[in-house]
Amino acid sequence: MKILIIEDEKELAKSIAEYLSAEKYLCEIASTFTEAMNKIDVFNYDCILLDITLPDGNGLKILEELKRENKQDGVIIISAKNALDDRIKGLQIGADDYLTKPFHLPELTARIYSLIRRKQFNNSNTIKQDELEIDLWAKTTSVNSKPIALTKKEFDLLIYFIGNKNRVLSKSTLAEHLSGDFADMLDNHDFVYAHVKNLKRKLTDAGCEQYIKTVYGTGYKWEG
Amino acid sequence: MKNLLQKSLKQITIYAFIVFALSIPSYFLLVDWIWLKELDENNHLIAERIENEFNEQRINDEKLAESIKFWNEIQPSSKIVYAGQPLLKDSLYTTRRKNPYASREDVIDRFRGLKSNIKINNRNYVLVVETNVEETEETVAYIAMATLIFFLILVIGFWILNRRLSRKLWQPFRDTLLQLKSFQLNSQAQIDFQQTDTIEFAELNATLEKLLQHSIATYTSQKEFTENASHELQTPLAILKNKLDILLQGDDLTERQYHIAEEMNRALIRSARINKNLLLLAKIENSQFDHSALIGFDTLLVQIMDGLQPHFKEKNINLDSDIQPDVALQGNSGLAEVLINNLIINAIRHTLPGGAIRVGLSKSRFEISNSGIQALDPGLLFTRFSKMSADNSGSGLGLSLVQEICRLHGWQVTYSFENKEHVFLVAFSATI
Repeated sequence: MKILIIEDEKELAKSIAEYLSAEKYLCEIASTFTEAMNKIDVFNYDCILLDITLPDGNGLKILEELKRENKQDGVIIISAKNALDDRIKGLQIGADDYLTKPFHLPELTARIYSLIRRKQFNNSNTIKQDELEIDLWAKTTSVNSKPIALTKKEFDLLIYFIGNKNRVLSKSTLAEHLSGDFADMLDNHDFVYAHVKNLKRKLTDAGCEQYIKTVYGTGYKWEG
Repeated sequence: MKNLLQKSLKQITIYAFIVFALSIPSYFLLVDWIWLKELDENNHLIAERIENEFNEQRINDEKLAESIKFWNEIQPSSKIVYAGQPLLKDSLYTTRRKNPYASREDVIDRFRGLKSNIKINNRNYVLVVETNVEETEETVAYIAMATLIFFLILVIGFWILNRRLSRKLWQPFRDTLLQLKSFQLNSQAQIDFQQTDTIEFAELNATLEKLLQHSIATYTSQKEFTENASHELQTPLAILKNKLDILLQGDDLTERQYHIAEEMNRALIRSARINKNLLLLAKIENSQFDHSALIGFDTLLVQIMDGLQPHFKEKNINLDSDIQPDVALQGNSGLAEVLINNLIINAIRHTLPGGAIRVGLSKSRFEISNSGIQALDPGLLFTRFSKMSADNSGSGLGLSLVQEICRLHGWQVTYSFENKEHVFLVAFSATI
C-alpha cells in the first residue's frame, strides 16, 4: 500500500509517516506543490493525503489534476481550513474524505483503512477475522455466520477498532471520534466506556473471541 | 433636556428683556428732558410777548393795574405781580396741582413754570408763566407699552427664527447623528456623512470620520488577528496531537506515563476545540459564510437529535419534542447545525441525570428548555469564556457561537428561567 503525504509542515508529515509505517503502509512525503505534482505524474498511490495550503500552490489544483488524468488514487484532504466551503469544494472535485487539523492519527488511520477498502473491494467489501465477519457496504456484522445487531455507534466503533488493529486507543481519542465533528463540549468518558462495553458484550454473547483488550486501565486495543 | 437653540433663546430673551426694561427709564428721561426744554423755550417766548404787548399798549399806571388784575383773572396760565425790586434771575420750576375743574378729585396735572422779571412802563413786575406738561406716569406708561409691544415682536421673531434655524442649520448635524446611531462596528458598512458648508459641522464630520476609520481599522485587524492566530495554532496543535498518538503506541510505555499522556491528550483536545471555535467565531464575524441557501431546519434538528440519542439515554433524560415539519429557513446549514448542536449539547450537559429536556420547533421559533435549579445570569451567558458552572470541560464559546450565528442570520436568541426550566429561544424573523 502506497501513501503520498502532501504536507508542507515537516514535523506533521514525519509523524503521519511514522504512524502509518507501522501499519505496513509505504509512505512518501511531498512538501511542496511542485514536488507533489511531479510525484503524482509518475506514480500511482493507494491514498493521497492532501494539504490544501502549500507554499507554492493550492492543493485543490493537485486534486483537479488527478481527476483530469482520471487517476484512481483515493484522496483525503487534511487541512487547517475549517471553512465549510473548502470541504464542499474539495469533495465536489472528487476528494474522498476531509479531515480538519488538528486530528488524531488513529482517526486518520481509520479513514485511510476505510478508503482503501472501498477502492479495492468494489463489490463485496467484507472484513474477516476468524469467526467475525463485517460487511462494510451493508453495514452488517456476523459471528459464525450469525448476524448480530449493532447500533450505528457500535458499528462505527467496531470499524474504528478494526482500522486501528493492535493500536492503543485512548479514551479521549475514542470520545472525540464518537462525538463527531460539530459535537462540542461532550467528551464524556463514561459514554465511551458504555459503548465499548456494549460492543464487547454483543460480540462475546454471539460467541466471538474477545478481541478488544483493556490496556493501561483506561485504554483499549483490538488484537488480531 | 432642552435643545441647544432653546437654551440660547432663553438667554437671548432674558438679555432682550433687560435691555428693553432699561430702555424704558432712559426713553422717559430723554422725552421728559425734551419736553421741559421745549416748554421752557415756549414759556420764555410767552413771557417776552406779554411784556411786549403790555408795553405797546402805552396805558397809564392806573389802567395798567386794572388790566393786570383782569389779566390775572382770565389767564390762569400766567400771573403778573408787581415787585419793588427786580428778581436777580429767572427761575424754572415744575409743579403739580389738582385740576379744580376736573370731575374727578384725584386728577393731578403737572405744570412747567417760568418766573421771570418783566418791565412794564419802567416798573418791575414778576411774571409767572405755567404750561401743562404730560405727567411722568403717563409718559412712562406709554413708553413701557410701546417697548413691551416691541419686546413681544422680538421674542416671537426669535422663536420663529429659532425653529427655522434649528431645522435648517442643524440639519447636517442631525444627519450625522442619525448615521452614528445606526453605525455598527461589526456590520462592515461604510459610513458616509453628508456634505456641509458649515465649518463646525464639516470639522465634526471630518473628526468623526477619522475616529471611525481608526476604530474600523482596529476592529478589523483585531478580528483578522484572531482568525490568523487561531489558524496558525492549528498546525502546532496538530503536531502535538500526533506526537502524543505516537507516544501512546510505545511498547515501553508505563501505565503512569500512559496516564500522563492521556491527560495531556485531553487538555490538547480541549485547546484544539477552543481554537476551532475561536476560528469559527472570527469567520462568522468576518462574514465569511454565505447564509442565503435554503435549509430544512426540521430535518437537521431531527438528524442531530437522533445522533445525540445515546447521550439522552445515558443520562436518563426525559426528552419531549414537538417538531413541526417543513420548517425551511434561509441560512447556512453548517452553521445551523452548530447552533442546534451547541444548544442541545448544552442542555444535555447541564441537565442532572433523570432530568427533562423539551425541544420545540415551529415556523417562527426554535425553543429548547431543560430542567434546572436556578436562573443563570443572562448578561454573562452569551459572553465568551464566562464560566457559569464548575464544569469546565466546555470550550466557553458554545453560546457565544450560538449568538453570533443568530446575529448573522437575523435571528434573535434569548434566555429565560421559567418554572424551574432554562429556556433558550431562537426567534426566526424571516420565515419562508
